[in-house]
Amino acid sequence: MVSLPTSQRGDARSSAEASSEALRCEELRKAFGGVQAVDGASFSVLAGSVSALIGPNGAGKSTVVNLLAGALKPSSGKAWLFGQDITGWPAHRVCRAGLVRTFQLSRELGRLTVLENLMVTPRNQVGESLFNVFFRPGSVKQQERQHLGRALEVLGAFGLYEMRDNYARELSGGQKRLLELARAVMAEPRLLLLDEPMAGINPALVQQIGEHIRRLNAQGVTVLMVEHNLNVVETICDHVVVMAEGKVLATGTMAELRAHPEVVRAYLGAAQSASTAR
Amino acid sequence: MQVVYYAFTLVFFFFAYCVLNWGLNIQFGEAGILNFAYIAFVAVGAYVAGALTAGPPAPGSNESYVLGAHLPFMVALICGGLAACVLGLFAGLVVFRRLRSDYLAIVMISLSLVAYDFVTNYVPLFDGADGISGVPEPFAGVFKLNANSFIFVFDAFSALVMVVMWWAMSRITRSPLGRALRAVREDADVAKALGKNVFGLQMAAMLVGSFYAGIGGGLIIFFSGAFNTSSWTTPETFVVFAALIVGGLGNNVGAVLGSLLVPVIFVELPKFLPTVASQPGLVPEVDNMVIGILLIAVLWFRPQGVLPEPKARFDALLVERGGQW
Amino acid sequence: MNPYGLAVGFGLVTASILAIASVGLTLQFGVTNYVNFAYGDFMSLGAYLTFELNTTGHMTVWLAMAISALVMGFVGVATDRWLLSPFTRRFNNVFYVLIVTFGLSLILLNLISAIWSPNFQQLPIATENPLHLGPFLLTPSQVAIFGIGVLLMLLVHIMLTRTKLGKAMRAMSDNASLAMVSGIDTRLVTSVTWWITGAFSGIAGSVLAVDLGTITPAVGETFLFVIFASVILGGIGKPYGAMLGALVIGLVTEVSAVAFNSAYKLDFAFIVLVIVLLVRPQGIIASAGKA
Repeated sequence: MVSLPTSQRGDARSSAEASSEALRCEELRKAFGGVQAVDGASFSVLAGSVSALIGPNGAGKSTVVNLLAGALKPSSGKAWLFGQDITGWPAHRVCRAGLVRTFQLSRELGRLTVLENLMVTPRNQVGESLFNVFFRPGSVKQQERQHLGRALEVLGAFGLYEMRDNYARELSGGQKRLLELARAVMAEPRLLLLDEPMAGINPALVQQIGEHIRRLNAQGVTVLMVEHNLNVVETICDHVVVMAEGKVLATGTMAELRAHPEVVRAYLGAAQSASTAR
Repeated sequence: MQVVYYAFTLVFFFFAYCVLNWGLNIQFGEAGILNFAYIAFVAVGAYVAGALTAGPPAPGSNESYVLGAHLPFMVALICGGLAACVLGLFAGLVVFRRLRSDYLAIVMISLSLVAYDFVTNYVPLFDGADGISGVPEPFAGVFKLNANSFIFVFDAFSALVMVVMWWAMSRITRSPLGRALRAVREDADVAKALGKNVFGLQMAAMLVGSFYAGIGGGLIIFFSGAFNTSSWTTPETFVVFAALIVGGLGNNVGAVLGSLLVPVIFVELPKFLPTVASQPGLVPEVDNMVIGILLIAVLWFRPQGVLPEPKARFDALLVERGGQW
Repeated sequence: MNPYGLAVGFGLVTASILAIASVGLTLQFGVTNYVNFAYGDFMSLGAYLTFELNTTGHMTVWLAMAISALVMGFVGVATDRWLLSPFTRRFNNVFYVLIVTFGLSLILLNLISAIWSPNFQQLPIATENPLHLGPFLLTPSQVAIFGIGVLLMLLVHIMLTRTKLGKAMRAMSDNASLAMVSGIDTRLVTSVTWWITGAFSGIAGSVLAVDLGTITPAVGETFLFVIFASVILGGIGKPYGAMLGALVIGLVTEVSAVAFNSAYKLDFAFIVLVIVLLVRPQGIIASAGKA
């Protein structure tokens, strides 16, 4: 499959925005006890792109995701989301600024129904304030109706409409992964941060999720995913960031990186480097 | 007449425990807060409501407590609820920064034990172990009541309070707020990642639940005319948890069912146990053990309780949209 | 004599009682990853067993205490095997087992009340003359309690650093799943840990009763928040932290009794707990904790 060049994606947006950075981090550092998990990571993600963060196990990719998403505070370094400094912001604030993340192990809200999982997602719900529940029931109801309409559409798009009244914990593994993505979509992200979305799922589902991601990107959502499946990265991502040992090793397209000796040595396969060395 | 008196007393405690159960349900059933100090909040409501109607302690008596006043009892009842909220606010400010449930439970149970210890020892606060007595009968100025008719009238009043509080709690649990609380309960990290202000939500649950606890406490002291430390030992918190879990966590009707548990087990059961009936001194111990064993059994065999948490349905909203999406 | 000097002496005794109780609790938490809310009642049970053996059994208090500790060890193992482990295996969420321990606490408290009567009882300890030991004024029993505390802490230290069991406990405390896959028999370690926690709770309850001179079914439970304070101060799950926490809380409570009204000395432990939670929730000892 051929990936579309960046300029052809998201025609709805202005070119000014299209050339700006959705995400940028500089010299991010994080230590746990004596272990330096992230040791000066710097990279940027163009708005409107689909980018990947790859690297061997222990490279610090998940930690970077948690740092960017606000689940962890960096020991040092800075981060910007669409030009806004989000360094050290807690998770709920980062989410409200437009960065929505998924988790590596699907974390559905088990004892809520599938539909409820989506209904709980939108930000700034009028009905979440105690005052409004009692004194502005009309507005609450109106917003609920709006959200319900959208939620049902999103469920339909992800093929989960039939399961809408089931408890989320009753879904199969693959369905839970779809729910995770559906929930992220419902949150209307500007930047979608996916933590290994293809991990441990069957090839048919991999393709399905890949299509969902491309469809979302076409609608204007910037995507950054941590991924081990290099085929996926090659097919849907325009830009790749390689990490190793807590630092960014290189960035570029997959083709460029395959020719990069350090990346090849660190990650892309001993067999490959052995054959090029000869 | 004794039978009527007895029956209406049971009915009162049923109403009071409904209110108490709903309070703990929003904290624990909806938001997942292990408030093991719940009974201390009930006590605050009782003491404050009682003191605010009993007036300052008479100079000659050896009673001493704070907040003596002669407020109308409805005002005092609400003040009791609000006082419990204040305690909830402080507790929340300390514990909700740490989300780990056992830490929270540890601090709450410690709070309960310390509060009990402090109130018992520091007599000027609420007359130590003796507590507040001589709380004037509500409605005394309005109706001329003897013992039986007072109970009847107060039962009717409590029923009214219960209905109002039922309506309020229903609105909350069915609203997006209730849904957000349940999300926090299921996975606080995910709730944060979805942009929810988890601290604010937990505080909301804490405050509402505390208010209910305080109102329940106020009702109890107005019914009994007195309240002392023996009414709020730690096992009492447990009874409310047991009632909720057996009746069905996260289900307001389950909470009602659970509150039938208290008068039934505590009052009726001993009559059916021959060994216990012959040793009346053992009754409270056996009652408590039965509740403990019952709770553990329910948790094992039917953890969702008699009436499980209802599934959220959006049919009403759908119908309004003409059934289309 | 300087009242503060005396207070330090009493503080060391309280610290010994607390240390035994806290280490028992924190070791079990480290291995099982949940708090046993019935711990205070285990202490009470141990105290009553000692009392019973001492009065009806006509044994000396110290022998009675030893036997009671042995029995309580098995009570701990039995509780875990037949009640608590089944719940932790079946349910993912920790709150089920927490409620079960809360329920167990209720059951034990009332069982003790039913068997031995809910009232205060005097422990038949002959009144002793306090000894002058430097700035301290302590009865022989109190000195003995201090000695038992020190001895048990030494034993715990040796166990944790020199024995396979101790190392297994530390491994499980750091990372339970890793411990399991590296060949540690986690079930066995858990059972042994419960034996230790039961025995320690029994000893702690007994020495507490000896120090107080009276016994009541809630004796352990009312002390529970002080134990929590010292456990959290030292960092939950860390035995050396618990020892340090016990020392601090023991001294703080006794010194505050001199400086302020002694009726509220235990409540000071709660104040310390709140301060720790506001300022440094993971405890004094710095490292990646469980909290």
